[in-house]
Amino acid sequence: MAARVRPNGMTPLAWLALGLAALIMVAPLLWTVLLSLKHNADLVGHSGAALRPPYTLENYGAIFGNSLTLRWLLNSTIVAIGQTAGVLILASLAGYAFARLEFPLRRTLFVIVLLGLAVPSQAVILPQHQLFAWLHLHNSYPGLILPGLVAPFGVFFMTTYMRGIPKELDEAAMLDGASRWTIFWKIIVPLTMPAQSTLAVFTFLGAWNDYWWPLISATRSDMYTLTVGLAAAQMNYAQTSGLGYLMAQAVFASVPIFIVYIIFQKQIVRAMAGAAVR
Amino acid sequence: MRRLAAALLLALALGSCSKPDHRTHLYLQRFFGECGAQYGGSTDIAKAEGECGIITAMVNRFNAENPDIHVDVNVVAWPGYPQLTAQVAARDPPDLVTMHEGVISDYALKGLLEPVDGYLKIGGVDEKDFTEAARAGVTINGHAYGLPWDTHGGLFHVNTALFAKAGLMRGGKPVLPNTAEEMIAQARQFERRTGKPYLLQSNVGDPAFAARNLYTYMMAQGAVLFPDAHHIRLNTPIGVAVAKFFRQLNTERLGTQNMDTPAAIAAFISGEGGIYPTGTWMIGSFQQEATTPGRPLYNSYAVFPYPRLWGAHVEYVSGHSWVVPTRERTPQQKQAIARFFKFMAAHNYDWARTGHIPAFKSVLADPRFKALPHRGDIAPLADIGRPLPSNVQRQNAIEGIVGEEAAAAFTGQKTIERGLADAERRVNDLLAEVD
Repeated sequence: MAARVRPNGMTPLAWLALGLAALIMVAPLLWTVLLSLKHNADLVGHSGAALRPPYTLENYGAIFGNSLTLRWLLNSTIVAIGQTAGVLILASLAGYAFARLEFPLRRTLFVIVLLGLAVPSQAVILPQHQLFAWLHLHNSYPGLILPGLVAPFGVFFMTTYMRGIPKELDEAAMLDGASRWTIFWKIIVPLTMPAQSTLAVFTFLGAWNDYWWPLISATRSDMYTLTVGLAAAQMNYAQTSGLGYLMAQAVFASVPIFIVYIIFQKQIVRAMAGAAVR
Repeated sequence: MRRLAAALLLALALGSCSKPDHRTHLYLQRFFGECGAQYGGSTDIAKAEGECGIITAMVNRFNAENPDIHVDVNVVAWPGYPQLTAQVAARDPPDLVTMHEGVISDYALKGLLEPVDGYLKIGGVDEKDFTEAARAGVTINGHAYGLPWDTHGGLFHVNTALFAKAGLMRGGKPVLPNTAEEMIAQARQFERRTGKPYLLQSNVGDPAFAARNLYTYMMAQGAVLFPDAHHIRLNTPIGVAVAKFFRQLNTERLGTQNMDTPAAIAAFISGEGGIYPTGTWMIGSFQQEATTPGRPLYNSYAVFPYPRLWGAHVEYVSGHSWVVPTRERTPQQKQAIARFFKFMAAHNYDWARTGHIPAFKSVLADPRFKALPHRGDIAPLADIGRPLPSNVQRQNAIEGIVGEEAAAAFTGQKTIERGLADAERRVNDLLAEVD
């Protein structure tokens, strides 16, 4: 007997498989939330206590009881937005130059940019730290934002996308008397919005989650980003005697990311599927 | 609009007219977490609980008692050394830093820490009052490079209810072994009578556990772990004997396998094993379980230093200290540091409530300390405690390597000789790169 097919083309078996997969994906998140709603002491012996009431919001209260938490949130927001805006501007301009303009050493420069993709940030952390120390930029917003603006992936991404836009559009605009800047700003940038939003989302998420550079550049607690601040607030044995608080921190730090995902999920899914690059 | 702009300018002007600050500022950097929500305004040290609560209340109290000084606190993620190194590289280190005694050599031997003998003298802190373990932990080339604040090391945390069931209690105290053979025999008896493992071991993701066991029982037999500052010696008959002993415990399933620290702690609290060898820092949590009716550990908890199984009764320990990174300071700041040291030394008893062993003999003898739960039993750690040689650098990294390889040798992932030889080779390679 043939399996009953519903109007949307999904069989009950497919629904079951999807539901099961979704449950597997959601289970760790749900577990994290449940742990965050328990007293730390209840979890020391058995984390399974998270499955039973009573539940409490005291761990979230403790996060906001720290006078610096909102400051860290603000710092992360400034750094993430600053890096995102900077990367979009620089990557778009560089992408346009590599995709449309003819200038000496264009190919060589593009290869050098691509080589940047192969250099892990850890490999340059020492000279980078020395440079920022020399410039007196540690414990400052520029010190946290500037390293993130070196974005070879963004340049590559925008170059590839812009190469896919027909050059005839530029030529038609030039015939109408448009300048290079007008073509870039009024024709190319609007056409690259899907790529811009995808790059924005990835840059924002990367900046928000960054830990290593803020850890060694922002050494004063009022300049911590949220990731560093929440780590500093943990006790030495947080995973045992402060598990509820640890999980509340994880949930709290994830909320802005979750919001960004909800707003930009279309772009993220498209980027994941590779559809943003034509 | 103009009114709004004028109001904003006025507010800005008023905001910038802050009261002049004539206090001497000290910049203190510490780990132990952040608990401002609970203790941010508290100066009542006696009412504070836990490492974070007690240190927060202590600094608040110091600021309250010294109105001409203000200690600005920067809390860093444990252990904070990446940040400190970055600050040193940027030539902007703090004035006071919490540091594990095993890490002092990494900074002091490069001239990045000031000797604190002068501060101790000005503050009236008597170095002769340091315990032997504390003195050894902060002294390099005859100079103190930190104010020792505690000694911490491994302890045998014991479930006395299970020990009673196993017939291993005498006069209300657990019977701990005096030799390796006795320990195997007791472990077999325990396992037979209770059906539970004698030892709860955090062999996974906790290299300090295996390293502590190997260091302690090699030191006890007189082994010289570091013949010089650039070489370790573990693959010796003594090292092999210690590793064989732990391998036997594991082969006979007398100790748990595949547990990390949270799992071992949970198992001990749930009454799933006889002994959990872990540090001084867990006393508070276990004691709380032991005084809570209905919990598996209720009225069933005791704690002791590692038993003497071979040779002398000594034990590998470390400790927390306060160090002073090298940088230019005003005479007022130097005076303030000396006063801070005096204050901290005077409140060493309060810190000892965390479970750590005091760094001062006078506190060890203090009736208030002796009256704290279990402190009479664990106080000998101050005498038998031995840190690694103070001229050996990278002690944290070494502990990680030794612990990883020792755990592999103890549990059978590697042959004993291979595990110890690999530990030696990796540590010596590391030390060869040290100046």
